[in-house]
Amino acid sequence: MRWLHPLRFLKNRFAKWLQNRMPLADRITLNQRNVYIIPTRAGLMLAVTLMVLLLASINYQLNLGYLLTFLLAGCALVAMHVAHATLRGLTMHLEAPDACYMGATAQFVIHLQNTRKSPRFGLSMSVQDTGHWVDTDVGAQASATVQLAFKPPRRGLQHLPTLTLQTLFPLGTFRVWAIWRPAAQVLVYPAPEQHAPPLPTHGSEEGHQASPAVHTLGEPDGLRPYRRGDGLKTIVWKKAAKTGELVSREHTNLQTRTLVLEPQLTQLSQTEAQLSRLCAWVLLAEKQGVRYGLRIGGHNLAPANGLTHQQRCLQALALA
Amino acid sequence: MWRALTRLPRDGRDTLFLLAVITWVALPLIQQVPLWCSLMGAAVILWRGSLAWRALPLPGTAWRLGLLALAVAATWMSYRTLLGRDAGVTLVVVLLTLKTLELRARRDAFVVFFLSFFLMLTQFFYSQSLLTATAMLLALWGLLTALVNAHMPVGKPPLWQAARMAGQMTLLGAPIMLVLFMLFPRLAPLWGLPGDAMTGRSGLSASMSVGNIASLALDDSVAMRLRFTGQQPEPTQMYFRGPVLTQFDGKRWTAMPWPDADLHPMPTQLVVQGEPLNYQITLEPNQQPWLLTLDATPQPPKVPGSTPRMTHDLQWVLTRPVTELLRYEATSYTRYLADVDAPRTQLRPNLRLPLGFNPRTQAWAQELQQSHPDPAARVQAVLQHLRTGDYLYTLEPGLYGRDSADEFWFDRKLGFCEHIAAAFVIVMRASGIPARVVTGYQGGERNTLDNFWTVRQSDAHAWAEVWLAGRGWVRVDPTAAVAPGRTGSLQRLQTPRGALTSALLGSVSPAFALNMRAAWDAVNNRWNQWVLNYTQQRQLDLLKNLGFESPGWEDLLYILWSIVVVASLASAAWSAWERQRQDPWLRLLVRARKAFAHAKLQLPPQSTPRQLIELWRQHPSLQARYPQLRTWLLQLEALRYSQPKPQQAASFKQQCHALGRQLKRMGR
Repeated sequence: MRWLHPLRFLKNRFAKWLQNRMPLADRITLNQRNVYIIPTRAGLMLAVTLMVLLLASINYQLNLGYLLTFLLAGCALVAMHVAHATLRGLTMHLEAPDACYMGATAQFVIHLQNTRKSPRFGLSMSVQDTGHWVDTDVGAQASATVQLAFKPPRRGLQHLPTLTLQTLFPLGTFRVWAIWRPAAQVLVYPAPEQHAPPLPTHGSEEGHQASPAVHTLGEPDGLRPYRRGDGLKTIVWKKAAKTGELVSREHTNLQTRTLVLEPQLTQLSQTEAQLSRLCAWVLLAEKQGVRYGLRIGGHNLAPANGLTHQQRCLQALALA
Repeated sequence: MWRALTRLPRDGRDTLFLLAVITWVALPLIQQVPLWCSLMGAAVILWRGSLAWRALPLPGTAWRLGLLALAVAATWMSYRTLLGRDAGVTLVVVLLTLKTLELRARRDAFVVFFLSFFLMLTQFFYSQSLLTATAMLLALWGLLTALVNAHMPVGKPPLWQAARMAGQMTLLGAPIMLVLFMLFPRLAPLWGLPGDAMTGRSGLSASMSVGNIASLALDDSVAMRLRFTGQQPEPTQMYFRGPVLTQFDGKRWTAMPWPDADLHPMPTQLVVQGEPLNYQITLEPNQQPWLLTLDATPQPPKVPGSTPRMTHDLQWVLTRPVTELLRYEATSYTRYLADVDAPRTQLRPNLRLPLGFNPRTQAWAQELQQSHPDPAARVQAVLQHLRTGDYLYTLEPGLYGRDSADEFWFDRKLGFCEHIAAAFVIVMRASGIPARVVTGYQGGERNTLDNFWTVRQSDAHAWAEVWLAGRGWVRVDPTAAVAPGRTGSLQRLQTPRGALTSALLGSVSPAFALNMRAAWDAVNNRWNQWVLNYTQQRQLDLLKNLGFESPGWEDLLYILWSIVVVASLASAAWSAWERQRQDPWLRLLVRARKAFAHAKLQLPPQSTPRQLIELWRQHPSLQARYPQLRTWLLQLEALRYSQPKPQQAASFKQQCHALGRQLKRMGR
């Protein structure tokens, strides 16, 4: 049925073609090849106005009218060049965004670099097809930073969406724009389930083997200097406040509890729901200082603790 | 006040600026639109300004629609139509000011801009003077500034930044304007000019009722400019012949209707003597068909695009009224004999007087006829009477009644040139001498800067011609008898100065004021010659100078097209060149790849510095030849892919340059 909408079809084809001829890159310098220009509706209105002014000048034989018309036309022509030059020669590069949870927005930063000796005004950037424009100016031989955000549509490793940069400067008669497909990718973890049930008391077999009942509370903890990856809970904050050094509790007791998280433990049937719950449990286990492992798909992560481990688990969940 | 203005939020400041520009655009039209329109426009703009100043919300739709309906109704009341030039201008002024009441979105701003451009064009219906042009150039600058400012969405950029941008664009657009102006073919009007296109300009007319020329004497505007090539005339010879008024109905003098040119191809017998005067006249549009020339002009003046013809009373006329600035060349002889052998029938209309008017003058004429049987002597006697009879030349002779000649000769003895000339002709006719009133201009002002003569409406004059046997038509200026200075040394009655002019010029010495006026006139004249008078003829002349044999408008288009093609080729070449030098970094990479090509190594297409380093590592021959290449490639990579520091942006090119030099040294 798409032939019924030949215009939309053509438009989509054109957009696809444009995108495909555009290499993926995290740094882009705009030039004649990747900057496009088209008159806006206001520009067309100006053209009509110019025609009417010209007709009036001819009909009333007004030489001053000719002068006005031609000066205005000259200005519009210069404005076209100025508009194009506003983007041409601009260099942009992008900082890859941090991984995020599904349903949250991924934020990333774009640096605009202007090597020209004059400022560039009225640049606006947006994630394509969102219609949210972020305006900025870039000073002469300076750079500016634009922060954009988008909601990743799915879980897993994926490319950033296509970006659009445009300007209407100086007269609004021409729209000059460039599209940019960043090479950077963003990793999207599953959304952690809200109000997830507590950690399962029985993990898989490994959890059983390590008897979960060895809680000898009241025994004095051994202390050692903070190591990367130690959980926030294990830090002795009182001591840290006094001495200014971070000191962790030796988990002689807590370490005894070990969990290996698996999709079956969630008792859910849908994959995404399972992943959501596992994600929530990973976060919970890390928070509680429980040693946890993850067995999902091809990944088999041995029980451990710490932020690096947590990240590894989350990555496994994201790519599952 | 200024402080408060700078502290105003962006929106308020921009609105106030735009309102100021709109006011500037619409202000010159105050003379053209009805009073209610000016008042309403001013009120609306003040209202909108105060809303912007206090950051109050805009009025609702009901207000705008109500005011619009009111304005349309008032326009209808004023003109009884909504179409046509004057009603249209009034409506556009109203629409423009009302549009400011909903000036929010960018699109509204655009509507304001386009309406403003129309208003700017309508100004030129009324005046195309240098002053108007300057004012409109400023208006264009202001509008562009506001438009540029509207497209600087970030923060509150100072207005001068937008103004500078707009100024630059105007300057860069000026050459394009010049080329288009010179080469765009001047077409004839596409459809008929509306009837009201050219009203409101004064000048001579085909009829004269007493008081016409006196009102012209107060009009300081320019009627025409001229330049003599070669011999300059005496001031007393500067009589520019306009409408000749033969018919008199007791109140009004009117020109005779002239018969078809085919029937009377050259009705006047004209014999010229002496040295000719060659000159060029630039005539301001006056809605009349007369071509003003010096007495007498035997050959048709050279008018581009049409052939004037002579009527039976020595006037040169065009087939259509002069509606635009017109330039023509003419050759005149101040010594001439006209219609020496005119048959009695042809002179008869010049003897007719309406019955029952001016009885005392008629009686006096009878006496004169008896005491001076020789017509020439009779003319001299009447002139002598004017000189010695305590007659006074004045701009304000008061109102004349039914028998105007009687009143002039016997009661008031006051008059302006038209009273004197008319009364003189009545006496002549009553005493049997064929006579007629001639109107036109007498004298002029020579600008010592550029040698152009300026003839103003205040130089409008009326004189008499009498027909004497053996001499034909002879010019007699009875005003000269009353006030010799009027024609001899071109003295003019001082027109009363307005309060403003007095205030401005009160302390300035008259000589300085005159010099200033001369300079201003010279500039204005240049403007007229070069801009307003740039017609199709001048365009074709330009082409002739460029070497075209018989230029036509197709040649204009051809040149215009060639310029466009050359300009596009130049810009294409420039952009290719710019693309080439676009990225110094990529060029460095290409140069580095050449080093690998010398070593006969296959390179992956579009290899990165990192890939090149890998290759370099695998090939000892390359390592031996370019030991430094690895560091260099790492530097190259760092230059592009490391975090840029803002202050480094300027030196990116320089760093590339430095790397290029390093590579050169390595190659040796």
